[in-house]
Amino acid sequence: MRTPFAEKLEQRGVSRRDFLKFCGLMAATLGLPAGSGRALAQSLEAAVRPPIVWLEFQDCTADSESFLREPTLINLLFDSLSLDYHETLMAPSGAQAEKSRLDTIRDYAGQYICVVEGSIPTADGGVYAMIGGRTALSIAQETCSNALATIAVGNCAWDGGIAAAAPNPTGAKGVGGALPGLSPLINLPGCPMNVVNLTATIVYFLANGQWPERDSLGRPRFAYGEEIHEECPRHHHYEAERFVLAWGDQGHRNGWCLFRMGCKGPRTRHNCWQVKWNGGTNWPIGAGHGCIGCAAPNFWDNLSPFYTALTDD
Amino acid sequence: MPKIFMPLVINNPQPSQRIVIDPLTRIEGHLRLEAQVENGQVAEAWSAAMMFRGLEIILKGRDPRDAWVFTQRICGV
Ligand code: SF4
Repeated sequence: MRTPFAEKLEQRGVSRRDFLKFCGLMAATLGLPAGSGRALAQSLEAAVRPPIVWLEFQDCTADSESFLREPTLINLLFDSLSLDYHETLMAPSGAQAEKSRLDTIRDYAGQYICVVEGSIPTADGGVYAMIGGRTALSIAQETCSNALATIAVGNCAWDGGIAAAAPNPTGAKGVGGALPGLSPLINLPGCPMNVVNLTATIVYFLANGQWPERDSLGRPRFAYGEEIHEECPRHHHYEAERFVLAWGDQGHRNGWCLFRMGCKGPRTRHNCWQVKWNGGTNWPIGAGHGCIGCAAPNFWDNLSPFYTALTDD
Repeated sequence: MPKIFMPLVINNPQPSQRIVIDPLTRIEGHLRLEAQVENGQVAEAWSAAMMFRGLEIILKGRDPRDAWVFTQRICGV
């Protein structure tokens, strides 16, 4: 029998098969045992679907772009989650835009998910990001404190990201730094965040009624549990000391290890080797460029210069 | 006038009034527009970028080979 959810998906051009494939990808990303996809599909069909308020502060919109690059995931997300406020996507402007945000906060108090993209400037009274005449900090306070949960997407919303790189002219902070004590707060670092991980985080919540287990830095263990270096398909070259020494040399053509070219895989925990980008097409190391460590804490300062080899691993 | 701005049109136009649109949505970044309207005509208009990160300041003194990685983050669209 076709459920109303399945019918809705079909109207959006997502077949039952696509949906089950999606659930399989989610189960694999979440590290669930083989064959959990179907159970996940059942709980997703029955789940209550919270609205999303998506706040952008000191950002470049790449996390939104990452989100929009995955048509199947988007179809499923828009079906299962209503995006009530997103500055780059919503139709209303000006006071009408503010009204959408405030209406959601009021009508769905404690029931909506707040996604934050971009850092929050705290220097000089917060003047470096103003929306509708209000500081990013005051908007974040109001929106996050009334949410069911806050998901910080991208490095900027996690640790201040690029705006917080030395000398941090605007006093930029991540959500956790700007709003101490905010809970639950789920951090999905990466520059940008990977939409598969955002989707899997929300799917986990819809299916289980709780947020995935997180490490001491607030990152879900399913996505940030492993070091890229350990899982890297080039790791056997590293072990055998077969290194790329110049762009385009024979080692580079052979797909050898990028450590000497500055790869920061040994300092970075992320599952991009597994979920990849652009619908699972490829990822930086797969394309022959070292990892810049974009999901690591304060990588703009801690892991640059990006083309200088780490002195130890 | 594009349909999206219709809700912002003021019903009882005054001889002289200021219209503010902030935030201007569906663009990358945070933009504010103000228009001074005289007898139904825009007499003057101002736009302001409402977000600053200081990437020019952050780039100073860094390895030049890294510049593209930083400047790429000006806009991710
Ligand atoms: S240094 Fe980089 S390319 Fe080499 S094995 Fe580690 S992660 Fe892979």
